[in-house]
This record gives sequence, C-alpha cells and structure tokens, in this order.
Amino acid sequence: MTLNEKIYKWLDDRFKLSELLPPIVKHPAPLNVVSNPLYCLGGTAFLCFLILVVTGIFLAMYYKPTPAEAYKSVEHIMTAVPMGSLIRSVHHWAANTMIAAVMLHMMRIYFMGAYKKPRELNWVVGISLLLITTTFGFSGYLLPWDQLAFWATKIGTGIAGSIPVIGGYISLILVGGNDIGAETLTRFFAIHVMILPIAIATLLGLHFLMVRIQGISGRL
Amino acid sequence: MALIEVEKHEVEEQKPEPVRVRGLPFFPHFLLREVVVMCLIAGGLIMLASIYPAGLLKPADPFDTPSPIYPEWYFLYVFGFLKFWTWNIGPIPAKMIGVTLPMVLWYGLLILVPFIDRNPSSDIRKRKVAVALGVIALIGILYFTYFSIVHH
Repeated sequence: MTLNEKIYKWLDDRFKLSELLPPIVKHPAPLNVVSNPLYCLGGTAFLCFLILVVTGIFLAMYYKPTPAEAYKSVEHIMTAVPMGSLIRSVHHWAANTMIAAVMLHMMRIYFMGAYKKPRELNWVVGISLLLITTTFGFSGYLLPWDQLAFWATKIGTGIAGSIPVIGGYISLILVGGNDIGAETLTRFFAIHVMILPIAIATLLGLHFLMVRIQGISGRL
Repeated sequence: MALIEVEKHEVEEQKPEPVRVRGLPFFPHFLLREVVVMCLIAGGLIMLASIYPAGLLKPADPFDTPSPIYPEWYFLYVFGFLKFWTWNIGPIPAKMIGVTLPMVLWYGLLILVPFIDRNPSSDIRKRKVAVALGVIALIGILYFTYFSIVHH
C-alpha cells in the first residue's frame, strides 16, 4: 500500500470518501458547456469574487475607516506597504471585471432562455447577486475617502434617497445622519466587509446548489 | 508536473463505469481546463493592475465640489436617465420618475422575467418578442450610459 492509498483509506474510513467523491469527480460537464466560451462568464465572476476576498482581507489589515485616517491609510497602502499598490489595484480591477462578468452572464442566460422552468428561482437569486455585486461596488467606492469617493457617494445616496416611500429610509440607513461623515464611512465599511460578504456567500451557495440540482440548461 | 502526475494516477485508478457520460468528466479534464482559464484571467487582472493602478485623488473636502463627478460606470445609466427624463406626469415630478424608473422598476422587471415570459421554448427563433425586448433594453442602457457622459 502506497502512502497515497494509506491517506485515502484513513480519510475514507472516517468520511466515506468512496461514496462522497464519485458523484462530484465523475459528474460530466455537458459538451456544449465545454466548447462554448460564453459559459465561462459565471466562473469568471466567481474567480473575481475569490480574488476580491483575498485582496480585500489584505487591504482590511491596513485600512482605517475614519475620516481622519482613511485617506492616509490608503495612501500608505499605495506607497509604503510592500505590494500594497498591486493588491489594491488588483482589488479594483477584479471588482470591475466581476461586475462586467455578472452582467454578461445575465445576458447569456436571458438570450439563451436558460431562466425557464425549472430554473426560475435561480434567475431571481442571480438578479439578487447582481444587486449585491453593484452594492459592493457602491460601498467600496467611498472607502478611500478622496474627492471622487465623497462626492460620488453624496450624489448616489441623494438619488437613492429620492426613491418614493422607501428612499428616505435607505438614505438614513446608508448615511447614518444628515450628511456624509464618520458615521457613513463606518457604515459603508461594515456593509462592504461584513454584511455583503455574508449575503453574497449565502446566495452564491444557493446559486451553485440549484445549478447542481437542475443541471446547466442544455440547449444552444 | 507533480499535479499532472497525480491526476494521471487518479485516472488510471478509476475503473470504467457503466454510466452514460455525455461530456467531459468534471475531474480532472474539465477542472484542468477551468484552472487554465482561471490562470489566464488572474494574469490579465495582474497585468491591468500593473499598467493602470487604482487611482487616488485629493482627500475628501465637503466644502469643495469637484467637477466633473462620475459615478462607477455601471451606475452611469441611472444618471443618464435622470438627465434625460424632464417631463412631469400629472402630479408626479420628473425627478421622481427619473430615479424610480431605472432603479426600482428596472430591477423589479428583471427579477420577474421568468414569471412574465411564460413561453416554454428556449429556441431563440421561437422567442422573438423576448429577444427583441432584451435587445431594446440593452440598447436603452447603453444609450443612457452614453447620454450621461455627453450631457455632463
């Protein structure tokens, strides 16, 4: 018995690998999915998400969410922290690529009619994921606390605030007061690094689970 | 190389099963392809990040409004529509329509797509209305994005 077999047997005795693995490992990917690059879009978005988690964790180690420190800490990341500029720039580009990939993924699903029975609810989850992804972008935009961040957020929260009925509440929840300030920054930070990651991880799990149960829509 | 050898080993281990396989087995063939694509995308992102690093302007100043202020590109269409729509409908002010239509109504419609489109066919030739509406929506979004940049 080789070492590999020993390790496999040890794990198999405890986790029933021989029952668990074959359906995952041998599950065939349909040929149209393998041959058509349009089917890469969802996976691209997910890869960007993983890159965003890793680079985001590194950024959170140096970032300070207060009006006095935020800008300085981002400047510090860009100039003094080893590889800091690269990490932040990859975070920036992965975010934009993820949003583009999610939008294109949605367009593929729409034009191929892949949202039809039995996949209606996965479409709903998908649109929620698109909303969460853009909210990620919106909340992350404020964090560097530079001129663009501040004023784009002022206008953005202003627009959200003028939605009838719910707008006032949305604006109050986001801004945390009358004007963009320290409260807004900590709120956006909490939304960006805690609330949205939990929400997106949950919905991504549902999204993939439904794809697994219902299969990838077959027709081309 | 070590990775590939392990994978070969695994392939040899799998005994041919009487399952109907109509595609590429997920492991290792499909996964290997995915890993190659992932490396390409990750490499592209690192290249983009090195050539065009994320920007940082002057520190935020609540008393100095800069011009122009651009939101992220994926919100431009909302701004564009807000500028485009200048007509009050009865007692509803134009601004309220300009905000509600591209955000609430647009996303509401998007979420309801599978429940509005009851046509069971996924053949693109048999769903001309859905495809036409999709193309119109796409052109609309692109137009209002363009509009927001031009009419700044």
